[in-house]
Amino acid sequence: MRNSGREGGWAGGRLEVFMRAFKQVCGMPDYPGYLAHMTERHPGGSVLTEREFFESFVSARYGNGASRCC
Amino acid sequence: MNRILWLLVSLVGAGAWGVIALHRGESINAAWLVLASVGTYLVAYRFYSRFLANRVFALDERATPAERLSNGRDYCPTTKWVLFGHHFAAIAGAGPLVGPVLAMQFGWLPGTLWIVFGVVLGGAVQDFVILFGSMRRDGKSLGKMARDEIGPVTGLFAMVAILAIMVILLAVLALVVTNALKDSPWGIFSILCTIPIALLMGVWMRFLRPGKTIEATVAGILLLCLALVGGRYVALSPSLAPLFTHGGLTIAWGLMVYGFIASVLPVWLLLAPRDYLSTFMKIGTIVLLGVGILIVMPPLKMPALTRFIDGTGPVFAGKLFPFAFITIACGAISGFHALVSSGTTPKMIRRESDARLIGYGGMLTESFVAIMALCAAAALDPGIYFSINAPLAALGGTVESAAAQIRQWGFTVTPEQLTALSASVGEASLLGRVGGAPSLAVGMAAIFSGVFGSHLMGLWYHFAIMFEALFILTTIDAGTRVGRFMLQEFLGHLWEPLGRTSWYPSNLLASGLITAAWGYFLVQGVLDPLGGINSLWPLFGISNQLLAAVALCVGTTLIIKAGKKRYAWVTILPLAWLLIVTLTAGWQKVFAADPRLGFLSHARSIAERIAAGAQDPAIGARLIWNDRLDAALAGIFMTIVVALVIVSVREWLAVIRGRKPALVKETPFVESAYAQ
Repeated sequence: MRNSGREGGWAGGRLEVFMRAFKQVCGMPDYPGYLAHMTERHPGGSVLTEREFFESFVSARYGNGASRCC
Repeated sequence: MNRILWLLVSLVGAGAWGVIALHRGESINAAWLVLASVGTYLVAYRFYSRFLANRVFALDERATPAERLSNGRDYCPTTKWVLFGHHFAAIAGAGPLVGPVLAMQFGWLPGTLWIVFGVVLGGAVQDFVILFGSMRRDGKSLGKMARDEIGPVTGLFAMVAILAIMVILLAVLALVVTNALKDSPWGIFSILCTIPIALLMGVWMRFLRPGKTIEATVAGILLLCLALVGGRYVALSPSLAPLFTHGGLTIAWGLMVYGFIASVLPVWLLLAPRDYLSTFMKIGTIVLLGVGILIVMPPLKMPALTRFIDGTGPVFAGKLFPFAFITIACGAISGFHALVSSGTTPKMIRRESDARLIGYGGMLTESFVAIMALCAAAALDPGIYFSINAPLAALGGTVESAAAQIRQWGFTVTPEQLTALSASVGEASLLGRVGGAPSLAVGMAAIFSGVFGSHLMGLWYHFAIMFEALFILTTIDAGTRVGRFMLQEFLGHLWEPLGRTSWYPSNLLASGLITAAWGYFLVQGVLDPLGGINSLWPLFGISNQLLAAVALCVGTTLIIKAGKKRYAWVTILPLAWLLIVTLTAGWQKVFAADPRLGFLSHARSIAERIAAGAQDPAIGARLIWNDRLDAALAGIFMTIVVALVIVSVREWLAVIRGRKPALVKETPFVESAYAQ
């Protein structure tokens, strides 16, 4: 399950899962999720750094105008 | 057990409606509205949305675009409840907060009924059907679906409709902010501070601590709170206050300059951080408002129906039918949602069956936000409500003249009450602050003060104003950008380089044109002696419902082409109602004989006043030109609606009579790995 985060019995794991969910609700980039996706789907491929990922995510999301409501 | 539970929910909901229907007393508690609406939402979700999901759309276990095209970025399978929150945050904005407040001039009953039953049978169905259609087509946009499923003409109509609604939406929202901020140093200071705060966050997230979005946003929120508190000292300081005190026209020009610059800056610098800030604030404030209403349970002081259902209301002209249904768009049915439902959300759905909670449930939640805004406004004294929402021209410039006028309307308020209210929120005057935001802010501040104590009233008022202005500015920024891209697509057909979004001169030109378009209507609204909302808000309502009509036509086509014509009533029913409402309202706005209502008769009355020497000819000529422009715009909207329906009905009949094959252009079925 690449999307549910780490199954952590310790507090840090739960916090991490919560933070990731919160980021997704706000439409923020999820770098750990991206890393997990790359390891699973494209193992051995080149991976963006956190800054590169942030830039490409933000421009993909807002680049052609964010659709949002009144 | 389950059946008993649902029976209980239905009984509670029906009981609450019964209390509302039978009440003849002085005032009713907001709790009954909350109970009745939530009961209705639960029953509708459990039964009607299940019928839509299983029978009409036949959601199944096929792989969604997020699963098939997963790229870790925009196509990304997302947990159901997380995506629900994300979708809700994207559809809820200033619309569901402002519309119900304006429609309060008819009393709280019409708005409540339309918001609750409109969403269950119309708005939520529209969001769900478009989300479903886009999800089955790799996340295609509404315009592309209209073109592919109905025909190229419809695609063009959809594009024009989206561009037009964008211009009117931006103008009217900018007008709401302008009216909330004029002559308010506290407000202007705190809103101005949001710009450097957002820039700082942008630099933080890109250069200082790449990708650390949450910490940057939390820091941004803290700075925002500082700006809010600081605003009070600015307003009290004799040397600083004049620097931040500006009239409507200056603010309008400021907004245009802001919109233009923001839409050509890189997205990471201003738009993205501003969006994060406003999403944080939006979720926080809406939760706070919900909890506040539950704790305070305010009695509704506004009558269920006012005398203004006859069309003589001061907030905007026009009778209950059709104008209540035009004024409240977001919250009941909003065409704008079709853009979100065919934008980022369909690319993130993990399983097809999740679409029911996200599409239908997300819209029910927005409707509930509208009910809460309505409760906050209805809890105000009617006299106070009208003192804030009626235009200055009707109230006169002083608290004495305003109180006298409001007494004539049949509500009691004293000049001392009005002075005390504006002093308590730290403003020089709240008279004639049309647009809905200030009266909602007073209502919200009263509710929060009921929870936390009344000494913070001014802070809460400005918190509410900042919260509304923050996401209106985000909409202006994002909307100008969307408009720019659409315009560049058009211009690219005329001369290829103009279509390149990487070419800076083309970006500047297109942004300038879009800003000029909404800026024109904004300035017209600011200078309008009737306050601007009277002419612009109905135009916005009509254009938003027009987009909803486009979406419902597309939805009906999808259902008929999928061979489900016996279920086509689920979208035809709300479509028919929208057509009746939109066309009646449009017709009245253009042709009504009452100069307060009809654009053309208003132009004629100005011409008569010029001829009689009672009106400055230069200003009069401008007013006449604007009236005719507004009339032409309403006329164009109506023509598009009628043409669109004719084209769609022809397509439906062709499929039903077998002249055309009932074929949908869905992506082929692939079994989902998430299937259980």
